[in-house]
Amino acid sequence: MEELHAIRKRRRSLQEVMNFMAALSAGIEPILGRGANSMTMSAGRKLGRQFSENAVKTDDLLTAIGEVRKVLEDNHCLWGFEPFKPKAQDALVTLNHKGEQQMYIVYRDCMIRQSLFRFGHPQKGSLCIMMTGFFDGALENIMGKKAKLDILHAGENGCLKLLTVAA
Amino acid sequence: MIHMKIRDAACRGCRFCVDICPTDALSFDEATQKAVVETVEDCIGCLSCGFICPSGAIRHEGHHVVKNFYRNLYFSRRMEKFL
Repeated sequence: MEELHAIRKRRRSLQEVMNFMAALSAGIEPILGRGANSMTMSAGRKLGRQFSENAVKTDDLLTAIGEVRKVLEDNHCLWGFEPFKPKAQDALVTLNHKGEQQMYIVYRDCMIRQSLFRFGHPQKGSLCIMMTGFFDGALENIMGKKAKLDILHAGENGCLKLLTVAA
Repeated sequence: MIHMKIRDAACRGCRFCVDICPTDALSFDEATQKAVVETVEDCIGCLSCGFICPSGAIRHEGHHVVKNFYRNLYFSRRMEKFL
């Protein structure tokens, strides 16, 4: 019973922090406009690099994705994501016209969806950008290449993102 | 494995679901003027089609359900003043 109480207390604290983050995000967006996204992207990228300092370095994209997942889990971020291959596509990883590796990723859970979505917090906002920044930063650190995660579709129960890794 | 079903009798042929699907898992049958499930394997379970459908004709099964880590009306009320 005491343990349950402690868990509830921790959850309340975490929700309070997320409330504060959402308020901060909602506050800066009208003032800074698109600059708010740059700011949170940069913050997320920096965090991703820091968190992945001790991650195993690799050139293989799928292994690197696994490492990012491990980094997230090690830091208690339970954001479920998985690579997605459309039926018409032959391989998970494809190359675009610039020779960059591309892969679709489906996000099932994330900090926004888990804590703020049900309160009406808008998707594709600066907090979502921060999360993609975190992913980019961690992947860049692991692969040693520039990475970019674009939000293609923000759905009610999942998001489709496109990961591009520089050649 | 996600299962998706469109109730023919309820579908009005508005194409909202076809337009919103990010992976083109749905298509529009010109003959019947109704939406059909084209490739269910491509469905990522975002449920956007189900939410946008004005007649609630689309049903999903076997999809991941988001875990909202805290559900409490007290906090819901507190959030309203922020957002």
